[in-house]
Amino acid sequence: MTLYEREINRINSVIYSNQEQIEIAIGVRNYIDNNYDKNLNLDLLSRFHFVSKFHLLRLFKKHYGLTPRQYLIDKRIEKSKEQLKNGMSVTETCFTVGFESLGSFSTLFKTKTGKSPSEFQNEQLSRSKL
Amino acid sequence: MKVTLISIPVRDQEKAVKFYTEILGFKIKKDKPLEGGNRWVTLVSSEWQDGPELLLEPGPNHFEPCKVYQDALMEVGMPYTQFDVNSVDAEYERLTKLGVEFSVKPSKMGTWKYAVFNDTCGNNIELVEVI
Repeated sequence: MTLYEREINRINSVIYSNQEQIEIAIGVRNYIDNNYDKNLNLDLLSRFHFVSKFHLLRLFKKHYGLTPRQYLIDKRIEKSKEQLKNGMSVTETCFTVGFESLGSFSTLFKTKTGKSPSEFQNEQLSRSKL
Repeated sequence: MKVTLISIPVRDQEKAVKFYTEILGFKIKKDKPLEGGNRWVTLVSSEWQDGPELLLEPGPNHFEPCKVYQDALMEVGMPYTQFDVNSVDAEYERLTKLGVEFSVKPSKMGTWKYAVFNDTCGNNIELVEVI
């Protein structure tokens, strides 16, 4: 066993000893991955796992480095990029990936990618014509 | 400012290009000659070709401390660079069949799975899958 492996195993036993917490975090992430297009909130997620929403928030952040909300937004933006590339309209994309208002979708998209949804789409479509 | 490039020190650029494209599956993005037979050669992942570029830089041959650091990491099995994959198990199977040597077989830590292999150019590379 390499020194690296021994060190990883040591850290693992110190910070990831609670298998039950890990299962909950993984369960929440899977749930978001499969239901990102629906109306999700912490109350709903915590009810599934019989834990308080504050505990869930802390747990998720501890294991993934971001909050469930941030993870959900990143997921939706990633999915919306796929839809825009496939030629879906901006409005339809917005609702298909689970956002409820066009304004917040456009703002978030621009913040995360540096471009508005329509700029992104035009760029992708003109690229595929080259 | 934007992050668009990460570099990997390699002993032999020719060999590295072969390993990273033919075995790992990266694609050459830029390849231009520099002085003394060195090249500025960057790669991208085939499924994310507008993503960050990976520079195969011949540092260890020209700057001793770079070589010393690389050797020290290799000796203790420490990866300095990691790549994300959809399935660590599937990549482990695929790469093992192609003769790639793993110092850490697929293992779990918290919410991720990882494995470490030797890139034959002086580096340990870690594959990571978030679960």
